Amino acid sequence: MDQLIYTSLSAMRALMQKQVVTANNLANVNTVGFRGDMTNSEAVYLTNGGDGVSARAQASDSKDSADMGVAANVTTGRDLDVAMNGDTLLAVQATDGTEAYTRRGDLQVADSGLLVTGDGLPVMGEGGSPITLPPVDSIRVDNTGVLWIVPQGGDPTQPQQIEHLKLVSAKGSKISKSDDGLFHVAQGGSLPSDPNGRLTSGALEGSNVNVTKTLTDMIDASRAWETQVKMLAGAKEMDTSTAQLMDMSGQ
Amino acid sequence: MTNAALHVARTGLDAQQERMQVIANNIANVNTTGFKRDRANFETLAYQYITAPGATSSGDDKYTQGTSLGGGVKLAGTSRSDVQGSINQTGNALDLAVQGSGFFQIQQPDGTIAYTRDGNFSVSAEGQIVTQDGRPLIPNIQVPDGATNITIGADGTVSATTAGTTASTQLGKIQLASFVNPTGLKAEGDNMLTETDSSGTPQLGDPGTDGRGTVAQGALEASNVDVTQELVDMIETQRAYEVNSKMIKATDEMLQFANQNM
Repeated sequence: MDQLIYTSLSAMRALMQKQVVTANNLANVNTVGFRGDMTNSEAVYLTNGGDGVSARAQASDSKDSADMGVAANVTTGRDLDVAMNGDTLLAVQATDGTEAYTRRGDLQVADSGLLVTGDGLPVMGEGGSPITLPPVDSIRVDNTGVLWIVPQGGDPTQPQQIEHLKLVSAKGSKISKSDDGLFHVAQGGSLPSDPNGRLTSGALEGSNVNVTKTLTDMIDASRAWETQVKMLAGAKEMDTSTAQLMDMSGQ
Repeated sequence: MTNAALHVARTGLDAQQERMQVIANNIANVNTTGFKRDRANFETLAYQYITAPGATSSGDDKYTQGTSLGGGVKLAGTSRSDVQGSINQTGNALDLAVQGSGFFQIQQPDGTIAYTRDGNFSVSAEGQIVTQDGRPLIPNIQVPDGATNITIGADGTVSATTAGTTASTQLGKIQLASFVNPTGLKAEGDNMLTETDSSGTPQLGDPGTDGRGTVAQGALEASNVDVTQELVDMIETQRAYEVNSKMIKATDEMLQFANQNM
């Protein structure tokens, strides 16, 4: 049988992977600070060595990257909700203990006083260690990431500055999304604190998934899949007619 | 046969359905005294790696990007908003509202103590100050038979004029409980919250001290549900549900097409 079916098979595998990525983007359309995933397959040319004709190209598994486009902010008025501006990222401690980055700014105070994100990861201070808060009457984050508190029983007119959220910029460094959904420096290590990092407090950044574009991607992948199925059906037909042509018994 | 895209889209439907339940509960409690709205928080499920970023592609070259397939979404939890509800005047002597972060302590039928912002109190047949369900307020305050003009100060002092006298007598003092992480309290139904490892232990004190808030007599705290906000969230959830169901339909059609034509 013609090797064409393997070319189509590679394309179908890549298209189904694309569909999984699209499904994941749509599933996270309401996840705070979510960054959509993008797929890009590339052609892998098959050569038969030497001067042969490189007529066949298989689709590789897609290489994924995250869409770092900014999403719309929603004002919540909550003191511990922060939306990162521009390309600013918030440093958090991933479950494996390393430093990772997120756009998720729905901060909470855990029982131990640890400042965590909405998915429970400790938020890093400028010094590179998690932030623990004393019992407070009120807390506020200003637009440079400084935490101002009124301690329990303290004077509400005299807030105290206690910590500085670690804000970073990935400009000039390669970061990529890991299996925990957080951004890590691609070759390991951590990013320096960015003094120009800014945020908006009392607001949350939504997911940057563009529903219309994602639905178009979905239809696109579905139709491309159908085309590949047609190619397989065509290959089958060619194979059948070749077999008939060569069949000596029928005459 | 399992297909990842179908299951990923299903997690989206589940999560949006759960969010809808949180919104429905907020709207259902829009007129519940002292109710605090919940917000659904989502998180991404683990990514499945086909090629890890940084893995060797050939020789000394390394992939700068990996191939990863997201596993979908899940509800990470719900967080209660402790924003103060508006204070509505009722004029009823035993209607109390807390202006601040404190909670009333209520003795539960099983002997444990629960916490509430619902200050809709009455006097029981035994003369105790109790909730609408008849659960006593802690510390216990005994109202003598025939007591009139019950007054409760901003600092929690309860006094009344007893039968046969014109002078006001102090009956006791209401205390409020505050928590390091009030969001960590567990909602139990009947407007009651209970202490958890995450809330920390209650810090008892007089109203008006350490940010516990003062007590307003003749008023009740309304729920902090903002109906407009809930309706907007509801539409957002509905639309997200729709796109995820479209995803299931599209993937199903792909598989159907392959099954029929291959």
